[in-house]
Amino acid sequence: MLRDITFGQYYDCDSVVHRTDPRAKIVLLILIIVFIFLAKNIFALLFCTACVFAIIFVSRVPIKLYIKNLKAILPILIFTAVINMFYGDGGTVLVQLWRLSITTAGIYKAFYMALRIILLIFVSSALTYTTTPNDLTDAIERLLSPLKFIGLKNAVHTLAMMMTIALRFIPTLVEETEKIMNAQKARGADLENGNLKQRVKALVPILIPLLISSIRRAYELAEAMECRCYCGGEGRQRMKQLKLRPADYAVCGVTVCCCAAVILLNIFL
Amino acid sequence: MPILEVKNLSHSYGGNTPFINDAVSDVSFGIEKGEIIGIIGHTGSGKSTLVQHLNGLLKPTEGEVLLNNENIWDNPKEIRKVRSRVGLVFQYPEYQLFEETVYADIAFGPKNMGLAGDELDKRVREICKMIGVKDEYLEKSPFDLSGGEKRRVAIAGVMAMRPEIIVFDEPTAGLDPAGRESVIEIINNYRAATGATVIVISHSMEDMALIADKIIVMNNGKLFMFDTVENVFSNGDELRKIGLNVPIVTRVFDELRGRGIPLPENVFTVKRAVEEITALKAGERNA
Amino acid sequence: MIMDNIIEVKNVTYEYSEDNISYAALKDFSLNIERGSFTVILGHNGSGKSTLAKLLNGLYKPTSGDVLVDGINTKDEKTELEIKRKVGMVFQNPDNQLVASIVEEDVAFGPENLGLEPAEIRKRVDDALKSVDMYEYRESTPHHLSGGQKQRIAIAGIIAMQPECIVLDEPTAMLDPKGRAEIISTVRRLNIEKGITVVLITHYMEEAENADRVLVMNDGGIIADSTPKEVFSNVERLKNVGLDVPQTTELLYRLKSAGLPVNTHVISIKEAADEIERALHSEDN
Repeated sequence: MLRDITFGQYYDCDSVVHRTDPRAKIVLLILIIVFIFLAKNIFALLFCTACVFAIIFVSRVPIKLYIKNLKAILPILIFTAVINMFYGDGGTVLVQLWRLSITTAGIYKAFYMALRIILLIFVSSALTYTTTPNDLTDAIERLLSPLKFIGLKNAVHTLAMMMTIALRFIPTLVEETEKIMNAQKARGADLENGNLKQRVKALVPILIPLLISSIRRAYELAEAMECRCYCGGEGRQRMKQLKLRPADYAVCGVTVCCCAAVILLNIFL
Repeated sequence: MPILEVKNLSHSYGGNTPFINDAVSDVSFGIEKGEIIGIIGHTGSGKSTLVQHLNGLLKPTEGEVLLNNENIWDNPKEIRKVRSRVGLVFQYPEYQLFEETVYADIAFGPKNMGLAGDELDKRVREICKMIGVKDEYLEKSPFDLSGGEKRRVAIAGVMAMRPEIIVFDEPTAGLDPAGRESVIEIINNYRAATGATVIVISHSMEDMALIADKIIVMNNGKLFMFDTVENVFSNGDELRKIGLNVPIVTRVFDELRGRGIPLPENVFTVKRAVEEITALKAGERNA
Repeated sequence: MIMDNIIEVKNVTYEYSEDNISYAALKDFSLNIERGSFTVILGHNGSGKSTLAKLLNGLYKPTSGDVLVDGINTKDEKTELEIKRKVGMVFQNPDNQLVASIVEEDVAFGPENLGLEPAEIRKRVDDALKSVDMYEYRESTPHHLSGGQKQRIAIAGIIAMQPECIVLDEPTAMLDPKGRAEIISTVRRLNIEKGITVVLITHYMEEAENADRVLVMNDGGIIADSTPKEVFSNVERLKNVGLDVPQTTELLYRLKSAGLPVNTHVISIKEAADEIERALHSEDN
């Protein structure tokens, strides 16, 4: 539920993946995704599969949670597989429908694409299950910090601040929306029935109070931040410093080796 | 026959909210027509959950709510009718104002009930007269009013539906003394004019002593006590056990009785207290 | 003896305009706050008390007159941060002053803005959380805490900047009695143990009970300035400006009106009982 966005999908336990520096995790995630797409033959892809399952195993997050994330994109998964099925070049024709044909090569390609997407979801989930949204925000800010050298210093800080505040206020606003909905329902508002036009109209008594209260909150928050000596990113220090530890380097090393292995498999098999 | 009856009501919020557990379990009570009922208890004792069942905003997990002897959930399609018969004024109701004019905002409830034209107009003007919303305010934007006035208009919006039972969740929260007094006056006016049954959640024992006939005490989602003001406040020790207390004057009287001064136990308001002390003094003088 | 004032408000007028008409929220207002004192400012809504609060740390600048914090004028833009650090502010709605979704990160926000060393920030955050009794919740999310707890986090966020003075603008208005008591005792403790000057703005009289000094504001000016007992004893004046007195004071005031020889300078239940007992036993009436 949205209410718990503070923790997002974070699954609280202790593992090597949890402990890895969030910046490293983001960079490695991108690297792994790239290599999943670079895997040209089935052996390379199966090797990637083995690696992703190794990550899942090491993360100590129950596999059923990963599968749960898969369900959300099941339609896309099936759609991609079906489309690819008709685009296989060569192989024996199994079924002929008008001008479309399903070949063994098509089945192979469908399987190949589906597996890629599944791996993609699994490895991204491994990041969100083991990292709090807070740490993610923080890591993104720091990863983007080199942009300050090209004159985007404030942009990076502002973006990160916006994300922090959004994470902080989304649960508050969700709760407020529920309250306002209940109050308008108590005044006889009908939010469940009616055609599309009526339903959109029924949202007005909820959206206007929500908008007004958000503006009030924004104003009060700005004053409170000013009182706490906030004046942008200039001169700001952070309490929590991210520092790469030997373990982080080890994780990076292992991942890079695996990526190299994918390239070798691509070339030699 | 009670106008409103709650029978073995339980409500639990799934497993999702371990932090603020506002569930209720096995609560039963009956309220007679025209009574003023106070509900007291800590934050999280289940008060808010309980009152949201009375107008069908929440559906009981177990048990039932009877309005004039009919289960409000007998016909779920008609639940919106129940909401106009049992009015619920939430905490800080001014945060739900949304129309361009005070008039339109007050008319929102009755309009949802299907009123229109002259009937609707009459309804809005009647309620404004009853609780003192001035005519010149009606065409103003509700957002231009002061805090206390906004609260008054928001309450009028619920009262305009003419509920037989009206429930207030901390109606005076966040107001200054003048604002608090005027809200209590509005509640009294509405009751005097319509004979409605009133239920008020409050943290102020002093206010409860002034306005309520009976008090429901909630604790940890259970009905801890349901009795007359006199009987509830005579159980000071029980109340203190769950972190509540009796009105301050009652505590002064308890202290005095402890010192051997012959004062009665059932004094909960300043007015009664003054009468008792002056009577005692007069008696001493005559003796 | 020279009084050591942390804040001096000198002949301040503050005007704001709405629809091109200007109103004076404060008129030729002067006030000194003594270092280390606990001052309560009472007043109904619109009496000018919130405007005063925002003038004390330079959030608002006077239309005329001066506000000095530790001798520094709040009009001076160069020292703006210094003044905001010295005079911390806590507002009514705890939800709208917390920035981060983890308690300790929120408390760190102020010191981070001051650019302190990470180790120093860590130390201040831990100390501040301990001083408001919220250390064990340092890794929770504010959304899951009660109103009183959230407000204590807000106070910790200010304490972590090591201010000389805290101004609290109706910090208890949105809280239940338990939360209210938590805040008042926390603030009281910070005043006594850390020597932090406290200016508490409220309309709950009970909260003024333990103050060193109570000010009553009405219509942009001060109408009473004395000890709590002295101020409360003048029940009529308070009622005239739309304020309530504690029920004990109210009781004694009515007894006095009814002709009993009682003194209305009392607030606590025990004192009230003492007075009534004395009046009942007195013969000379």
